[in-house]
Order: sequence, then structure tokens, then C-alpha cells
Amino acid sequence: MENGLILEVKNLTKYFPVTSGFIRQKKVAEVKAVDGVSFSIKKGETLGLVGESGCGKTTLGKCVLQLYRPTSGEVLYRGTDLCRLSEKELKPFRSKIQVIFQDPYDSLNPRFTASDIIGEPLRIHGMKQDKKYHEMIREMLDTVGLAPYMADRYPHEFSGGQRQRLGIARALVLRPDFIVCDEPISALDVSIQAQIINLLVDLQDKFGISYLFISHDLSVVRHISDRVAIMYLGKMMELADCDEFYQTPLHPYTQALLSAVPLPDPAIEAKRSMLILKGEVPSPLNPPRGCVFHPRCPRVFADCRHIMPVLAEYRPGHSVACLLYPSSYPPSNNNG
Amino acid sequence: MAGLLEVRNLKTYFYTQDGVVKAVDDVSFNVSEGETIALVGESGCGKSVSALSVLRLIQEPPGKILAGEILFGGKDLLKLSRQEMQKVRGAEIAMIFQEPLTSLNPVLTIGRQLTETMELHLGMTEEQAKQEAIKLLESVGIPHAERRIRDYPHHFSGGMRQRVMIAMAISCAPKLIIADEPTTAVDVTVQAQLLELIRKFTAELNSSLIMITHNLGVVARYARRVYVMYAGKIVEHGTALDVFHHPAHPYTAGLLASVPRLDEPKKVRLASIAGQPPDLIAPPPGCAFTPRCIFAVPECSSGVYELVEISPGHFTTCWRAREGKIAWKTD
Repeated sequence: MENGLILEVKNLTKYFPVTSGFIRQKKVAEVKAVDGVSFSIKKGETLGLVGESGCGKTTLGKCVLQLYRPTSGEVLYRGTDLCRLSEKELKPFRSKIQVIFQDPYDSLNPRFTASDIIGEPLRIHGMKQDKKYHEMIREMLDTVGLAPYMADRYPHEFSGGQRQRLGIARALVLRPDFIVCDEPISALDVSIQAQIINLLVDLQDKFGISYLFISHDLSVVRHISDRVAIMYLGKMMELADCDEFYQTPLHPYTQALLSAVPLPDPAIEAKRSMLILKGEVPSPLNPPRGCVFHPRCPRVFADCRHIMPVLAEYRPGHSVACLLYPSSYPPSNNNG
Repeated sequence: MAGLLEVRNLKTYFYTQDGVVKAVDDVSFNVSEGETIALVGESGCGKSVSALSVLRLIQEPPGKILAGEILFGGKDLLKLSRQEMQKVRGAEIAMIFQEPLTSLNPVLTIGRQLTETMELHLGMTEEQAKQEAIKLLESVGIPHAERRIRDYPHHFSGGMRQRVMIAMAISCAPKLIIADEPTTAVDVTVQAQLLELIRKFTAELNSSLIMITHNLGVVARYARRVYVMYAGKIVEHGTALDVFHHPAHPYTAGLLASVPRLDEPKKVRLASIAGQPPDLIAPPPGCAFTPRCIFAVPECSSGVYELVEISPGHFTTCWRAREGKIAWKTD
């Protein structure tokens, strides 16, 4: 890890087959859920990943975790390509790369007590249920802001925010250095969201964890991220330092998305104009040719319909995949 | 503006095995003709139950509207017979629900669901209603409407289904539209399309709109007045400008401070509201927000807190705010 990178994703793709037929299933098409995505995450850094539902952000997270085996590409954790490892070889890495799910109601085993839930990763990784085990669980409860007496409670006895704290404790107990947070606050009430975000930030400061923070909430992503990437129909459209991303977004999709976020201030909203995109996200089964965003793009021009832009650095630290920027033209223009 | 709907001292309780849930407890609000108001609050605060009570869609049992008046155009909806209420629903008051997949009938075509209300309320013939349905679907931006009225709800995407819901809501030119979290289940860009659509039609029809949401940005963009609910009660209300710029209840102020904002410099830490919303079977005594309130003093845990006007048109239940005893940063 000479370059300080915890995670490096290179040209990752994940295609899901679409099958037809009942008994003898034939592959009739492919959904390109993630299509040629590259990025990296440094130690202690948070990369925010935004996009609308179906853009592939969750699939990307699962590929990083190797919960889905990618179709092609590399996922390098401290230089080791996880895609090449067998399940058995992956096990030691699983303790270092953890996940926090969106729905704390669905992702906790209802028959486990809080201490069973937090202790499960320890047991899986071969720890005996001795004094140290129980000490670690107590310490974890304390770290995420739950009281020791809650250790014997079942998930249904916790509120939504507390359940998410439990999910965080479970992710944290093996002392990972990288956590994929997949919409960790979307299911929570507004007043509770801030508590969980603050907790995630505190834990990062304390343990030096890196996050891949997947969310559709642009305001929350801005708050928590060092860098931000945006996806659309399986492709990464823009990747930049957080301030740059929000102050000078380059991609028309990013610009539209940012302008569509209503601000909690009636005086500002009264004066603000909004860029409303036409239509909806097309089916990933049959994505548009050229730039996948072109049918909805307010700044579409002839090239967009047949040339597929590549994500390339337009300014230092700011990459974009849009033909408005010369850097995004592919090296040879004959792939359209 | 003339008053259209006036809800007075509404109490809707649910009788459950564990006890009585006071979901809506002495709530009053009003909407003028052509006005958009918002009911804001977190899940379980009673905002949806308030709206469902207006339409008398509370399932009984376990629910029951115990007390109050719902004056709509002068008549008390709570005193109407079932048949009379049927005529109000859909025709005069329409509702747009949060999840269109569960609120559209899966075994009826979109066309049938649209024509049904128009045949019933407007006395149209089948053919008239069909033509009108096509026009409506076109006006809410559904392409190939002529063909699509034969499709079933599952043939539509989430955003398109919500457009169908909007078409149904406006089909009888209602005087009041209630939109219950209309865009929670859709993406940001689709949310913007749908909200603009709702705004356009309410303006064209001069309908009033009650918007139920937890999204403070949506409130700021669309509502003229805001009612903030907490634990079954309205704790603050006023014009959107007053409530957002000079919040007069610690809960409102806390909510506003806890959302990160795109238009402000990045904060190191978000202000959060400690604890969690109370159990409505046994809410805390006195002001229900007391256990989470950073300004609370022992007196807050007893007594009854009613809305009192602190400046023209701006009401709060917080006596400490009224006495100017608490100050929070609002800018």
C-alpha cells in the first residue's frame, strides 16, 4: 500500500444474464448493471457514491464486497485482487472489509440478541466465547452509543436508529479498515439521521476507517464525503473532490440533479430556478447508444448519439464522462 | 382567501392490544381556497392520520375519530352519512398516496381506474370517460396514452404510476388535494417532475393542496404555510418564511439544524436531536418533546401546552420560546 490506497477498483463490470424459458433457461440478454467503473479510495477517506435507483451503485458496492463476483475488472484491496481469490482465500479479507446495510429491520437476525449479533463476526472468525469476547461486545455497544443492559435485547426491542447502531457495531467489531455503507440512513427519520451520520464521522476519526458511502441524498453525501462520484445506468459520469463536485459540477446530469434538490429555505426557493430533466431513466436492458444520458440531456449534440464518452480527468482531481469536454472523447472515435 | 377546510380539535385514537395510541390529539388546522399548506413531521407524528381522518378513511376498529369538527365548505364531514361522504371523496377532496403500487388496484386497467371515478362523480358515459381519461393521461405526461389506458399498474414505472395517481386525483377537479408523501418512493429528478406537475394542476384548478412530508426542502419550495407535528400534536405553525427563518419551537429548530444543506458551508458536525420520538401510548407528561429538548426546564414536564400566537399568524406551544428564554442560531 505504498500509494496510500486502501481500495482500487479498475474497469469493473457486472453483467446479469436475463433468461427466458421455464425449464431450459436460455440467456436472451444482459443487464449491464455496472459497466467499466474505476475509482480508488485512500486510507481514512470517504468516497460518496450517488445516483438514482437502478444506476448500479448498490451492485457496485456488492462487487467491492465480493458478495457479487464481478464479470470482469479488478478490486484491489491493499494491492491484492479480491476477484481472483477463492471463497476460502477471501475469508481473512472479509474481516477487513465490512458493510452497513440500508434497512436495519431486514439486516438483523430477529432471533439473535444484540450481543449475538455483534458477536457473530467474531465467532465466524474463530473466536471463543470467553471473557475477552464479552468484553469486546460490551466495548462495541459503548462505542456506538448503546447501553450495556441492551446486550440481551432482541432487534424488535430497538428503535430504528438503535438498530442501525447495532448494524454499525456488527460491522465494526472486527476492526475493519474499509466499510461499504449502502444507504445507511435512508430508512431513518430526519432527527435520527443526523445522529447516525455524526456517529459514522466519529468512528472514522477514531479508527481511521475508509468509507464507500452509497446514497441518493446529495446533501448528506456532501456532508460526509471527501470525494464524490455519480453513476447513471451503470456508468460513472463524474468524479471529483467534494467541494469541486458541488461548486462546479461539469456533467449536465450532475448539474440537473443538484438543481432538483429543494433547499430548506422558502426565501431561496422562491427565487431559484430548477433544471427539470425530461423523462425517466431508460431500461438498463436496452441502454441508449453513445452516451447513456443523451436522451434526457439538455445539452445533447450530434456526437452524443453515437460516441460513448470515457471518464477522464478534465481538471486535476476532477474527472467527467461527457463529450462537452474534449478529454472525454475516446482515443479513437470508431466505437460508435 | 376564503376558508375551504377547517379542522378543529380533531382526536383520532387507535385502540391496540398494548393500549390507546393517541395518533392525532387535539389537532386544528385550516386551508384557504387555492392555498398550499404542509404538514411536517417524522414517521408516527400523526400527519398521515390527520389527512386520512379528513377523508374519513380511518379503519374502525382499531381506529376511531373521537372528537372534533372537519368543516369543508361549511359542512362538517364527520356528520355526513357514508353515502354523502362517498360523494365528497374523489370528487371534492382527492388524495395522492405515497406508494402508487399499493394504492392502485392491480387487477384493473389504468383506464378503468380513471373512468370509474368520472362515471361515478361526473355522470359521464363510458365513452366520454374514456376520452377524458386519455386526455388526462396526456396532460400528466404519459406518452401513448391511447394505448396505455389498457395497461395494468405493474406495466408502469414508479414515476409513471405516480403520474397516473395525479391524473386520478385531478380527474374530477377537486377543491382540495391531499398529497401524502407523494415523492418519497421516487428519485430526485422524478420528484421534481411530479411536484411541478402537482403545482401546475393545483394552480390551474385553483385547488387547495395539503402536502404531507418530512422533506423540509419540498416544504420550503411549495408550501405557503406550515404545520409542524410532533407526537400527535401540532407544536408550531405559521408562514413558511416565519417557521423556517424564525422557528419558535425547539423541535422545529432542531429539525432544521439537523439536515445538511447544499447552500451552506460544510459543517464539521450536524446538530442532532438526541433520543427518539416518544411512544404514543404513554407520551411524556407536559410537553412531549421535553425529554429530547436541550432548552427544557423541570416545568416543561407538567401542564398542558397549547398553541399561542407569538407574532401575527405564527403560533407555538413552547412557552420558553414565547418568553424569549431560548435562542438558537437560525441564519
